[in-house]
Amino acid sequence: MARIELEGIQKRWGPVWGVRDVNLDINDEELVVFLGPSGCGKTTTMRMIAGLEEPSEGTILMDGELVNDVDARDRDVAMVFQGYALYPNMTIYENIRFPLRMRDVPKAEQENLVREAARLVELEDYLDRKPGALSGGQRQRAALARAIVRKPKVFLMDEPLSNLDAKLRQAMRVQIKHLQRQLRITTVYVTHDQIEAMTLADRIVVMDSGLIQQIGTPDEIYSDPANTFVASFIGSPPMNIVSGVIEDRTFHSEGIEIPDLSIEHSGPTSLGIRPEDCLVARGDSDRSHFRGSVYGVEPTGDLTYLTMRTGDRNFEVKTDRSYRADLGSEERIVFDTERIYFFDSESGRRIT
Amino acid sequence: MASIRRSGGERLWVRYLILGTWALFCIAPALWFLSIGLRPRTEIITPQPIYWPTFSLDAWHMLWSDWPMARYLRNSVAAIIGSVIIDLVLAIPAAYSLARYEYRGREDIGFYILSTRMMAPAIVAIPIFFLFRNAGLLDSVWALMLIYAAVNLSVVTWIIRSYMLDIPKELEDSARTDGASDLRILWEIIIPAIRPGIITAAVIAMIFAINEFLFTLLIASTPKAYTMSVALANFTGGSDGVIYNAIALVAFLAFVPVFIVVVAIQKHLSRGLTLGAVKG
Repeated sequence: MARIELEGIQKRWGPVWGVRDVNLDINDEELVVFLGPSGCGKTTTMRMIAGLEEPSEGTILMDGELVNDVDARDRDVAMVFQGYALYPNMTIYENIRFPLRMRDVPKAEQENLVREAARLVELEDYLDRKPGALSGGQRQRAALARAIVRKPKVFLMDEPLSNLDAKLRQAMRVQIKHLQRQLRITTVYVTHDQIEAMTLADRIVVMDSGLIQQIGTPDEIYSDPANTFVASFIGSPPMNIVSGVIEDRTFHSEGIEIPDLSIEHSGPTSLGIRPEDCLVARGDSDRSHFRGSVYGVEPTGDLTYLTMRTGDRNFEVKTDRSYRADLGSEERIVFDTERIYFFDSESGRRIT
Repeated sequence: MASIRRSGGERLWVRYLILGTWALFCIAPALWFLSIGLRPRTEIITPQPIYWPTFSLDAWHMLWSDWPMARYLRNSVAAIIGSVIIDLVLAIPAAYSLARYEYRGREDIGFYILSTRMMAPAIVAIPIFFLFRNAGLLDSVWALMLIYAAVNLSVVTWIIRSYMLDIPKELEDSARTDGASDLRILWEIIIPAIRPGIITAAVIAMIFAINEFLFTLLIASTPKAYTMSVALANFTGGSDGVIYNAIALVAFLAFVPVFIVVVAIQKHLSRGLTLGAVKG
C-alpha cells in the first residue's frame, strides 16, 4: 500500500531528454496507466519509480518519504517486464520464490506463499518446469506470480502483455485488473496500447516527448481531450483532426463547412471529430458537414469502417455493419455537432 | 520435387566427401604421431620405406622408466587447472564490471586488458624472468600457474564479457527489484546463465596453457617444474640424440585429452572463437 508523489522529475542522458518534467500524485491502491508512443518517457518514468534509473532532477516520494537515494532492492516494489525476465536456470517454483529468498522470508512460509501466488495465476501444475518449457501466456503469469508473491507496496508493469497474441492479451488484461483489485496494491502500468489503457486504468497519464499531456480517468481522456495529441492517440480509429479556419462563427476547410458555431474564437483552427460521431447522410437531405469520395470500406462484422478522402487527407467514419459503397463514389457526412472539438492550430491546445 | 530431392542428396554426398577429406587431413598428423610412437626407434630413421611397420611399446616403457613422465604430467595438470581457476576467479567479476557498470575509462580499461594479448611474449620474457627470480618463484609449479593465468586472463575476460553482454538487462533489473544485491545477481543469475561461456573460456585457456612453451622453459629449470611441453623438448637433446618415437608418443598423449574436451564442447567453442567476428 503506497502513495507515490513525483515532483519535477527530469531525466537526461547528456543532451538526450528522456523525461522533461513530470509532476504526478498516485493514490494508494490506484491503478495508473502511463500511455504514449515509444520514446515518450513512460518507461523511463516507471524505472525511476522502481529505482532502476536515477532522476536528473526532482523528487520521488513514497508514502511521504523521499526515496531518490533508496536502492531498487530496498524500495519494496515489484516489477513485471515486457520480456518476462524469468530466470532461465530456475524452475517456475524457484523463480516465484526468488524474491522471498532475497528478503529472508522464513523457509516454512516460502512454500505456502509460492503456492498461493501460483494458485492466483493458475499455474500450480507448472511449478516444476523451467521457463523455456512454458508458453508465452504461462510465462507472463509466472512473472506476475513472482511479482505478487511478497505483497509489495507497488506493482510496476512495463508493457507486460505486448508479447502475447490478441486473444490472450484480452484474457490477461482482465486477470491483471482482477488481481489488482483483489490485492489492493498501488499499480503503475506502462503501455502504448490505448485499449489496454482505457480498460485497465483508474487514471491514465498520457505522455509525449517526455511531458505529461493529460491526466484523467479513461472517460475524461476520451471525451475531454486536452490537445490534439491526446485526441488523436485515443480511440480506434483515432479522432479525425482537420485543419481549417474559423471566420464569422463558421469553420471552413476543404470539403467541410460548419456554420453557426457558438464560440468566439477566430483564425486558424483544427477541428476534431471521432469516427463514431459521424453519420453517413441518407436520401436527399442536404444537411451535411463534409463531402468526399469513398477511399475504403472495411466491414469488421459488428460495424463498418468507412475511409473517405479529400485532397491528401483521410477521414474515418464508423458506420453500421450493413453499410457498403463503391470506391470513388461520393458520400456526404453529418457530424454530431455536440461532439465537435476545436483545437488551436498552432499549440494544438483545446479551445472548446 | 523428386529431382530437387536427388540434387539435394548429391550435394549432401559431395559435402560429406569434402568434410571427410578435411577431417582426414586434420587428424592425419595425430595418427602419424601415434604410428611413430608405437614403432621401434631404429625403424623410424631407416631411409627405406616400410610397408609393414613393427609394433613396439619401447617408447612407452622408456617414457615411464627413464623419464619422470608422471611428474611432468602432474605438473602440467596442476599448473593448467590452477591457472584456469585463477583466471575464472579474476575474470568473472572483471568481465561483469566491463559489461555492466558505467564508469569513466571503462572502454580504455577493456582495451588495455585485451592489448596485453597483442604483445609478442618474447618482449616480456626477460622482465618476467627477473620478476619471478626476485620473488623466489623460479622452478615451481606455482609460478607456472601464475604465468599461465596472466597470459590467458585477457582472453578469458573478453570471452566471458561477450557472453554477459548477451544477457538481457531485464533479468538483472528484475533480480534487483526482487531484492538481490549485485553479488547475488552475479552469483545466482549471471553465472548460471553464462555457463556455456565460462566453459568455453576455460577450455580455451586450458589449450593455450597446454601449448605454452616459452615461459615454461624460462621458469622451469629442472624436472621439478617441467611440464609435458617442455619435456617434449628434452627428447631432442642429450647424448641419446633425437628420440623421435618418444616425442611422437608424448605429443600424441598431450593431444588426446584436449581433443576429447574440444569434441565434447565444440558447439560452445565455435562461438567463443568467432567472438571477434560476430560481436563489436
